Amino acid sequence: MELRSISRDSRHKRSHTGAKRAQYRKKRKFELGRQAANTKLGAKRIHEVRVRGGNKKFRAMRLESGTYSWGSEAISRSTRIVAVVYNASNNELVRTNTLVKGAIVQIDATPFRQWYENRYAQVLGKKKRQIAGEEDKSDANKPRSKHLQAKVAARKSAVEPALDDQFVSGRLYAIITSRPGQSGRCDGYILEGKELDFYLRKIRSKK
Amino acid sequence: MSEQTEKSFQKQETVFLNAKGVSKKNNRWYKDIGLGYKTPSEAISGTYIDKKCPFTGNVSIRGRILTGVVHSTGMKRTVIVRRQYLHYIPKYQRYEKRHKNIAAHLSPAFIGVREGDIVTVGQCRPLSKTIRFNVIKHTKSQTKGSKQFAKF
Repeated sequence: MELRSISRDSRHKRSHTGAKRAQYRKKRKFELGRQAANTKLGAKRIHEVRVRGGNKKFRAMRLESGTYSWGSEAISRSTRIVAVVYNASNNELVRTNTLVKGAIVQIDATPFRQWYENRYAQVLGKKKRQIAGEEDKSDANKPRSKHLQAKVAARKSAVEPALDDQFVSGRLYAIITSRPGQSGRCDGYILEGKELDFYLRKIRSKK
Repeated sequence: MSEQTEKSFQKQETVFLNAKGVSKKNNRWYKDIGLGYKTPSEAISGTYIDKKCPFTGNVSIRGRILTGVVHSTGMKRTVIVRRQYLHYIPKYQRYEKRHKNIAAHLSPAFIGVREGDIVTVGQCRPLSKTIRFNVIKHTKSQTKGSKQFAKF
């Protein structure tokens, strides 16, 4: 596999008028393209690449976690990525669990649930909790000082039902917004609202 | 609702849709492209999502501003603009007709653009293989007198 057999030039393409362009020079290094990363789920494996200007790119070959933001609550937590669930471009990438920007993944919900219950003293994903009988142990009911209790009571929160259901299973839907093959990271944000409805419908219609 | 025609969720990148608490309805971002060009009301009040629109997307108009006649509207969100000019032949002291076609991106903010309309295009960064221009103003073609029956 040569590095320069992939080129990004337009000299090999026909012009706007349809004329075939004659080749008058060889491929140049500044036009090079490299093999795609096709980042999979697994124990972290990242290759460093020296790029133009002496800079570095981090080609993630395998990743298992990333930093995800909960937009409406304005927090981010590092979580494990469980599975790739939807990809608008290619179903093959879903089957092979390939991490790319714009892919919809399922992430581990525990850091977000812990933060929420600590801050608002309300239990998330009520249905499961009642069955498991863990309500007493969760952070929502841990002992707090009177001052802290007053602060917590003053905070208001409402989580939309679609999100609340996801906390029951312990898996949240999120979208990847970083480029794992370029930065070596798989970060993104949790889907909410209309975007969440849109992708849920797409996922259900596939099954 | 109806602008979600693609497989991925269409939205404006700069607008956060899921803020807690009451957010103003029609949370839409638009900009003034400068150079005295008025941004159409459809761009401000509409619901379309177009990342290549000069008013509601991520392109800036800089460089050349050209005008021409709309030659073809068969493509999705783009038009071919035909610019005619006369080229002088010194030996014969006469002119010949020449033309150049420009592929330009047509934002959904401009509705009812038909062949024959006059259009102003502004240069932007390359949006595709042949598209480096974006429609920024549109004036309908004049039918000779209002008594002429225009095909609706």
